[in-house]
Amino acid sequence: MPETVFHTEKLVKTYRTGGAEVHALSGVNLDLFASELTVLLGPSGSGKSTLLNILGGLDHATSGKVMFRDLDLTVQSDRALTRFRRDHVGFVFQFYNLVPSLTARENVQMVTDIAPNPMKAEEALERVGMSDRIDHFPAELSGGQQQRVAIARAIAKRPEVLLCDEPTGALDSSTGVQVLEAIREVNEDLGTTAIVITHNAAIQAMAHRVVRFQDGNIASVSTNETRVAPSEIVW
Amino acid sequence: MHALDKKLLRDFRRLWGQSLAIALVLACGVMILLTAFGMYRALDDTLAAFYERNEFADVWAMTEKAPRPLLTEISALPGVQTAEARVQEYLMLDLPGRVKSATGLALSLPDTGALPTLNVPLLRAGRLPDPQATDEVMVNEPFAEANGFEIGDTFEALLSGQKRRLTITGTALSPEFVYAIGPGTLMPDDESFGILWVPQAMLASAFDMSGAFNSLTLSLSRDAQEDQVIEALDTLLEPNGGTGAHGRDEQASNAFVTTEIKQLKNMATILPPVFFGISAFLVNMVIGRIIALERGEIGLLKALGYTDVHIAAHYVLLAGLTAVLGVIIGWITGGLSARWMAGEYAQYFKFPYLIFNVSYDAYAISGFLALLTAAVGALRSAMGAARLPPAVAMSPPAPPRFKRSLFDRALAALRLSQPSMMIWRSLFRWPLRAAFSAIGLSLAVAIMISVGFFSYSINSVADIAFNQSNREDIVLLFTKERSLSALEDVRNLPGVMEVEGELFTPVTLRNGHLEKQLSITTRGAGASLARSIDEAGRVVEVEGPGLLITTRVAEVLRLAPGDPVEVEFLSGRRETFTLTVAGVTEQFFGLGAFMTREAMSRLTRSVPQISVANVTLDPRQDNAFNRAIKDTPLISGAVRVTDMKASFDATVEENISIMNGLFSVVAILITVGLTYNSARIQLSERARELASLRILGFSNWEVSYILIGEIMLIAALAQPLGWLIGYGLGHLMAASFTSDLYTIPMVLPPAAYATASVVVLGTALASVLLVRQRIDRLDLVSVMKTRE
Ligand SMILES: Nc1ncnc2c1ncn2[C@@H]1O[C@H](COP(=O)(O)OP(=O)(O)OP(=O)(O)O)[C@@H](O)[C@H]1O
Ligand SMILES: [Mg+2]
Repeated sequence: MPETVFHTEKLVKTYRTGGAEVHALSGVNLDLFASELTVLLGPSGSGKSTLLNILGGLDHATSGKVMFRDLDLTVQSDRALTRFRRDHVGFVFQFYNLVPSLTARENVQMVTDIAPNPMKAEEALERVGMSDRIDHFPAELSGGQQQRVAIARAIAKRPEVLLCDEPTGALDSSTGVQVLEAIREVNEDLGTTAIVITHNAAIQAMAHRVVRFQDGNIASVSTNETRVAPSEIVW
Repeated sequence: MHALDKKLLRDFRRLWGQSLAIALVLACGVMILLTAFGMYRALDDTLAAFYERNEFADVWAMTEKAPRPLLTEISALPGVQTAEARVQEYLMLDLPGRVKSATGLALSLPDTGALPTLNVPLLRAGRLPDPQATDEVMVNEPFAEANGFEIGDTFEALLSGQKRRLTITGTALSPEFVYAIGPGTLMPDDESFGILWVPQAMLASAFDMSGAFNSLTLSLSRDAQEDQVIEALDTLLEPNGGTGAHGRDEQASNAFVTTEIKQLKNMATILPPVFFGISAFLVNMVIGRIIALERGEIGLLKALGYTDVHIAAHYVLLAGLTAVLGVIIGWITGGLSARWMAGEYAQYFKFPYLIFNVSYDAYAISGFLALLTAAVGALRSAMGAARLPPAVAMSPPAPPRFKRSLFDRALAALRLSQPSMMIWRSLFRWPLRAAFSAIGLSLAVAIMISVGFFSYSINSVADIAFNQSNREDIVLLFTKERSLSALEDVRNLPGVMEVEGELFTPVTLRNGHLEKQLSITTRGAGASLARSIDEAGRVVEVEGPGLLITTRVAEVLRLAPGDPVEVEFLSGRRETFTLTVAGVTEQFFGLGAFMTREAMSRLTRSVPQISVANVTLDPRQDNAFNRAIKDTPLISGAVRVTDMKASFDATVEENISIMNGLFSVVAILITVGLTYNSARIQLSERARELASLRILGFSNWEVSYILIGEIMLIAALAQPLGWLIGYGLGHLMAASFTSDLYTIPMVLPPAAYATASVVVLGTALASVLLVRQRIDRLDLVSVMKTRE
């Protein structure tokens, strides 16, 4: 039995906008395991990002329980959540979210400046194949390159978990493959638990497990007996 | 260097235009604080040092003639430390190469040949006159310089009707004449008024004062009660024709200098807060917008594990850099201008030296205030940024909700174009922001009006004082009071056309516990040269036995027409009467009260007397007249009203144009700071919207109209408020400048409002146009491509 990294119980998230209540998550029970690469699939609005944000300590649940190992995230203060993010979580977002006024290296240094046991910024960029663009500003990089810098930034702190929200959403397929390759390498080489949200069903082939979302809850979970390398995925 | 610090520096560089605009406003506050404070300190320190080193007296008294032995008795009065007696006389001077006469105030030097013990003149060149000499004199340095005198030069003086040639042995400066103002004049005129230090023996024999004195100066011991000493002194001197002792507060030179110093202090405390307030608002506005635009980055920082404190500090530091820039500019300009202005003042006032201690505390205070201002301005937004939940920060802000309201229907009914519609909607969407911008701009207008009114006031003062109240060409001062027949002698001088006499009588006016020393001016009925003019510009005649007083006197003594007022004469029989206030009139210089000649002579049961003659002259006989009065024994001086007006205009106009210039710059900086920043923010907020319009086929100028329109609309709406605040601020300024020495009336013609508005609106337009250029350069593709 592999080690459980995230454990949720009856996780509920409700948004109240105007008069209406939106149940973004309605009682999610899920376990995620160490060193596993999980793909979250599901239609738009089904609650994938909401779940990822709560797992990453970016948002609070309305009710239910979220455990990160022995840490109950639902009872943590904002300050403790900030600490949790800083020490354990790496994020990658759909829109690369680089700081435009900082170079690739400096964007990674944003993390290495505050993380407890980071790798060197150069090393992180090397891992994603960005060594030759180290002093470029985001505006001077393509979308795929920006996203790879974002992944370098996420892994530079040697996080236990890497949370990726549609990392290839804004990319064409060959650039997307490079990005997925970078994620897979981190997962394999560093043993980082990775969760990747995607709309793209083809991507599920690279995962250890696939979780399908529907209307704020898990529709199904399946395990891939054989995984496909990102380079063999086409869409 | 941390990556976040690099971001800080790069953001600062990217925003340099906006930062500079804010920094300049902040610098203004710092500069004015440093300048006013530095000048205030310099003058105050210099004055204090000069007074202390040169034994400035504490009490002065004049008598007609008192025996020297009385000095022993005076010295023995409790609280008196040193008492010094001297003879002092006004002399008519005939200066070589100068047609017009000049007046000298002769002060006797001790017989011992030493310097006086009080009000010690500071020798600047040459030596003291020989105590035995009858033709030697030391003069005040400004008088020598203004007339081009060197040591050894000579001039003539009329001593009791006898013309004497005097040789200048030295020049000096005295703490008593830091601001040397001649009898009957309003401004110092060093060319026509000099201080002469003359050996005691020579002055006493000329004026029949051997073994006697007519001027007394005292220094008091530390614990002395000044008013008790003055009272005791008055009692002692009364039999000798004492005209009332007074302290430093009524010593002319000291009164002028201390009034000036007080005004500088006011300036140092009133103005800077305005600038700091506006800067805080600007910082708040700019940082607020940067934060709104950087929501994504803030969310990212949080996702990466940066703490709230980190993030708040980041934005506060961004404001802090702006403040540092402002402080540096302010310190440099303020330090320079304080030193320069203090130097100017030291020349205007006759100080022998200038003590300019760099007031590190002023630097520290101004720097601290500027940083605090920026921090306060940034803090609210920065805290808001820190408090944004990370998940919310990552998603773009919800589009502002534009509601259909009554107002919209009104706009629709006006059938405005879409761009005009956009302007109005945005104004009402962020009413608070618009309101704050408008308030800031209205302050710029107000600041201009609040000093702009000075030139109009002063013109009106000059007009009433010189053209309407004092219509004589020359005021001749008699050596002592004369009977009315003296007017006939004056009429016989060459060129004299009209002559009227006036009598000045020193009195104390009392209403209950309130009292003021001043001179009652007594005029013949129907006098047409020197007259009183009321606020509405009408001639006010004194009628009956009553007393006409000036507005300032009425205010200070809380008197109204019909009230009884106690009048104690400080000369002659020193009687006390109760008179009725017959009316109140305006007078801009000094304090005044007026009576008719009949009433005065009935009151004092004596024949009518005069102490000056007001004269109009035939200009063709000017020279003959000037020559004649230099040899006329009964005249001690002549004041030329036209010269006085000219020197008044010159002095005042220079001061006012400096002040107007300074405040215009200030108003312009505030306007630029506000409008440039607003425009930049508008542009960054609306870049997509404006680019969309461009893509839809609107022209550059149609799109620019939205940007320009909104800001100019706010600027226009700010005007009436600015006028109102300016009116109030002007009243405050006028009140703060009004003292016993002069009254500043509030004169605000429409032109003053218009000037301020034109400057502010023009500057606003120029600032927006500067930003508007960016619309031409708008890269439509990249704007639309970037994420909100
Ligand atoms: N801040 C919010 N306020 C109100 N409702 C929200 C908010 N965030 C998300 N929602 C709602 O919660 C539901 C789940 O949203 P979520 O972003 O998790 O979906 P998703 O599965 O990530 O969709 P997508 O694939 O489009 O990214 C949606 O119905 C969304 O409208
Ligand atoms: Mg999503």
